[in-house]
Amino acid sequence: MQRDKFFREIENVNHPNEKLVKTHCSYCGMQCGMNLRVNTITNKIVGVEPRYDWPVTVGKMCPKGVTAYQQTNHKDRILRPLIRDDKSLKGTKEGFREASWEEAYDLIAKNFKRLQDESGKDSLSVFSGVSMTNEKCYLTGKFARVAMGTRYIDYNGRFCMSSAAGGFLRSFGVDRGSTLPWTDIHETDCLFIAGSNTAECHPTSMFRVWAVQERGGYLIVADPRETPIARRADVHLDLRPGTDLALANGILHLLIKNGYTDEAFINKHTNGFDETKEIVKEFTPEFTSEITGVAVDKIERAAEIYGKAPNAIVMFARGIEQQHKGVDNVSAYTNMALVTGKIGRPKAGVATFTGQGNGQGGREHGQKSDLLPGYRKIYDKEAVEHVSGVWGINPEDMPQAGVSAYEMFELMTEKTIRGLYLLCSNPAVSAPNLNFVRNALKNLDFMVCSDFYLSESAEFADVILPSVTWSEDEGTVTNLEGRIIKINKAQEPLGESKPDWQIQVELAEKLGKGKHFSHLKTAKDVAEEFRLASKGGNADYYGATWDKIDEQDGVFWPCKDADDKGTPHMFLDKKFYHPDGKAKICALPYRPPAEEPCEDYPLRLTTGRVVYHYLSGNQTRRIKFLKDMCPDPYVEIHPKTAEKYNINHEEIVRLFTRRGESNYKVKITEAIREDTVFVPYHFGHEQSINLLTIAALDPISRMPEFKACAAQIEKLKSGKVL
Amino acid sequence: MTFTIREPKQTETETEERRRLYMELENCIGCRSCLAACTQCGGHEQKNRNYVYDVNPLVNRETMPLMCLHCVDPACARSCPAQAIQIHETGAVLSALVEKCIGCQNCTIACPYGIPKFDEEENLMYKCDLCIDRTKDNIPPMCASVCPTNTLQWLTESEIEVKQSKNDVGNDKWVTSMPYLEGETNVTVNLPGILQGTVKLF
Repeated sequence: MQRDKFFREIENVNHPNEKLVKTHCSYCGMQCGMNLRVNTITNKIVGVEPRYDWPVTVGKMCPKGVTAYQQTNHKDRILRPLIRDDKSLKGTKEGFREASWEEAYDLIAKNFKRLQDESGKDSLSVFSGVSMTNEKCYLTGKFARVAMGTRYIDYNGRFCMSSAAGGFLRSFGVDRGSTLPWTDIHETDCLFIAGSNTAECHPTSMFRVWAVQERGGYLIVADPRETPIARRADVHLDLRPGTDLALANGILHLLIKNGYTDEAFINKHTNGFDETKEIVKEFTPEFTSEITGVAVDKIERAAEIYGKAPNAIVMFARGIEQQHKGVDNVSAYTNMALVTGKIGRPKAGVATFTGQGNGQGGREHGQKSDLLPGYRKIYDKEAVEHVSGVWGINPEDMPQAGVSAYEMFELMTEKTIRGLYLLCSNPAVSAPNLNFVRNALKNLDFMVCSDFYLSESAEFADVILPSVTWSEDEGTVTNLEGRIIKINKAQEPLGESKPDWQIQVELAEKLGKGKHFSHLKTAKDVAEEFRLASKGGNADYYGATWDKIDEQDGVFWPCKDADDKGTPHMFLDKKFYHPDGKAKICALPYRPPAEEPCEDYPLRLTTGRVVYHYLSGNQTRRIKFLKDMCPDPYVEIHPKTAEKYNINHEEIVRLFTRRGESNYKVKITEAIREDTVFVPYHFGHEQSINLLTIAALDPISRMPEFKACAAQIEKLKSGKVL
Repeated sequence: MTFTIREPKQTETETEERRRLYMELENCIGCRSCLAACTQCGGHEQKNRNYVYDVNPLVNRETMPLMCLHCVDPACARSCPAQAIQIHETGAVLSALVEKCIGCQNCTIACPYGIPKFDEEENLMYKCDLCIDRTKDNIPPMCASVCPTNTLQWLTESEIEVKQSKNDVGNDKWVTSMPYLEGETNVTVNLPGILQGTVKLF
């Protein structure tokens, strides 16, 4: 496997009475290598030691990674199943009593059966997540369709990666988050990064990003805020939230106009150039500047640099994807690589920064409402036959496609869905328009939540099943490169907690579907069946055995068989995955955000992460170091805007939209646009910024528009400066 | 605060060139991973010993770490009335010896950078010892091991010289430890300006 200039042989320190278990972080798509320190007397995880020999991150970790081990033996762990008999306490932490697994399973089976008898198979639903192994993600899809027999399964990737997936599928015919390995990044000549606060969300990419500049290469960043990476960019395109499509079209306009296109590549390997050329014709720098608010000379300079760069990588993240035109944004930025031919070779390509640990693998193998393992479509007859064969069911019994994550809450509200099995996600914090979503959860007839902490969403459950942290189970995860890696078990499950795959196998027995699950006795058993189920699909994992992953420092999919070493670089043969082998250059007319500022709501609200927290904060808000560094949310405001409202640094103000409101402490900074305010989304209950966000969904990916809505600030009478 | 320093390994240290902590402040993103990692050194009792500051918090996101520079003639050690601060043969200025420290805090006052911290409960000073249990064997300290941005690096003398020749264009903007700091240090720092000598590729 590739070992680059950052790689150095370093011996690890092994403390007395300890052993090291090599694994990866529990959090984001970087999946940084780490060694967990395990006390050999107590057999408990006690700390972390860098994993210098992991080729992607060479020992580096962000503060979340360094402290990740503290989750496992945390005092807040749920150690036994919990049952709440008093439904009036839903939405609170109160009223739970400890129960045996047997009692919990029986209660779940009884209620699932009752609801399905009363209202049909599809009255139940599954809402899952992708911060868990491929094995668990795979089995969750099978559990929903085979054990519960419902069409309604979807997952939190709808709030994360679905737009990237939709865009890549449309442009390339395949959705692998990065067309090249991360070890290429520092060797490229230009990074064009849009809507990614890389320094805070994927910090261990940063040594490679800075290395591009040290070599004399260029860094272009598009972001409404001057984030730590934008601060050092050669060009910072400080656009209005929600206007990416105009910016991408504007850059494309200049690439075409100024002769930076690769005609031979366009003719031989793409479709759609002429229509696209027509559409972007009107996106002159002046017109683009008018929509985006970015100065004309910056747009021109960015296009010139990207156009001239021998090699360049276009990268993006949730900033462009969490919009109601997220899929269009992805395809529009991808157009830059396609018209210039800067793709399908080392050091040039397109990549998205995957948000969740297994955001890539978790979206490929059947947790999505319309997908089956191997990135197969559920309405493809052949796909259904293949997967039914592996699962041992009749193809006719395969449920239809369901609906997307947010739409499930709509069905809960209208009582089409009456029961929910929630795992590995905390939508009571991470979904948009939370007043609506929390009500939907409250109105359920029966809800099961599997988690290792009592999350804000678990507060709505009737039964809570104690699952394990990532370090108490093993399996594979697919990182943001598309590299399948191995998570190793460092400690036995705490208390009576169990891995989710085991919970599903046992619950399937209670639901009368044991024969499809009872052969799965270990995570490895699940892995073997999963490889088979993915075989022949676009995301083919069949050749990615655990042994090969160990030997090669990971395996890039597709990996079809035992001899296949995997595919670090996509499209080296310039063959894309559409039937004619060509990529699609997409003609995309501009649409503004669903909700534009107006007199009553004159500000643009955007949301995002801070470096100290992960997703809904259910894990990181419990870690002392991280909590100390960022205990509460805040609203970032430009000093000129603050002056208009007569508000001061650290004053508490009321921030509100058409959907909700909350009070936040003001953080004054010049590093944000005057027309924009920012609040991090990691916080629960009345602190959640998602009480305010809008559920305008992308027509293709069904991604909500977290990144742009109209808001207003009110100075409070009691909003004293702390 | 008790831990014993293991004997240095005899084998590889003779051939391998010694490395030193080297800092490029311009790379810092303020993630404070160095502080989190500091607690993970076996000898640090879960207490971090360094600092990261927001340079201009109301204006931009510039941040910088403030680490012990391990002075060649350290003011902290000179000012200690109990000779509790020892200097290791590698040049690392160690944390106060538990049995000697009298909790007077002279060291904190004497240090030009205010590095030594004070534990009120234990009445003891504690400071960065450059993860001596690691660095005596040329293993990078925890902070430089994890630093996601290469703000903190663990380099050989010759690697630091290459950095200097590339980045110092004689305009006083590339500032290394000498002659700008209080005295000679074992840690090399440079302030923003690392890219000024870089020739753009195109």
